[in-house]
Amino acid sequence: MGKRVLVVDDANFMRMIVKDTLMPNGFEIVGEATNGNEAVSKYNELKPDLVTMDITMKVKDGLEAAREILAADPNARIVMVTALGQEKMLLDAIALGVRDFVVKPFTKERIISAVEKALQ
Amino acid sequence: MVKINAKHVNPFVEAAMRVVTQITGIEVRRGHLSYKDKAEPSYGVSIIIGIYGYLTGQIVYSLDSNLAQRLVDKLLDGKSPQEKQIMFLDTLGEVANMITGNATSLLNQRKDQILNITTPAIAAGTNLSVHLVPKPALVLGLITQYGPIEISIAVEEKETLQETDSDEGLLSEA
Repeated sequence: MGKRVLVVDDANFMRMIVKDTLMPNGFEIVGEATNGNEAVSKYNELKPDLVTMDITMKVKDGLEAAREILAADPNARIVMVTALGQEKMLLDAIALGVRDFVVKPFTKERIISAVEKALQ
Repeated sequence: MVKINAKHVNPFVEAAMRVVTQITGIEVRRGHLSYKDKAEPSYGVSIIIGIYGYLTGQIVYSLDSNLAQRLVDKLLDGKSPQEKQIMFLDTLGEVANMITGNATSLLNQRKDQILNITTPAIAAGTNLSVHLVPKPALVLGLITQYGPIEISIAVEEKETLQETDSDEGLLSEA
């Protein structure tokens, strides 16, 4: 069975792109969330193998959600998938324990590679 | 005192050209640069994104409806007309989000700080009123074979980090 992935992004379009990229490559999309609160709650409920996480979202942003998930489960595997690619943001995310940082727009190869590497 | 600097424009030009061409294959050319007292959109589809950090303000993307439809058709290739209609605004908002996010990376030369952006406020149609922060804007025209894109950049430099109200610059139905 494929690794179980939770896709977090406030844009339906981007969730669709991530799903359409990962599913044909053997990953199972077990859930979707549209903001950081939903992401934390669905992570606790679904216990996915990996989370793809947007940063800019209403209610609670992706960095805060990642911080909460990693505080509760330091082994959580999170890949940030965001339009924001500033150096400090990347370093802050890696310091949190995030496994990789994919900047939008991305190629299919880039996100598959990031997810596979994070799951190793 | 509002200070608009032309150096803030180039990252948006570069990001818009790169993002639109990469994700849709549509070629984008640089058009005219002008000035407006307020970042009011000129075309049928409008997307507003706030910026906060050492720069604060808003970016208003305005594009021709025909071009908006072409972008969505290309990005949602293979989806049904109904799905395209449902995801129309969401998809355009994400394109603007990618352009703005990429531009902030190009803008941010200060390695010790982060420049943040708000989620996009999006609207399409003629029966709209647009509520904008009353700041002057540098307006950049971009040209595609399917119609124009206008990017109005109304940002000012701050001496210290300061967050703006993320509800600034809202679109609503009239």
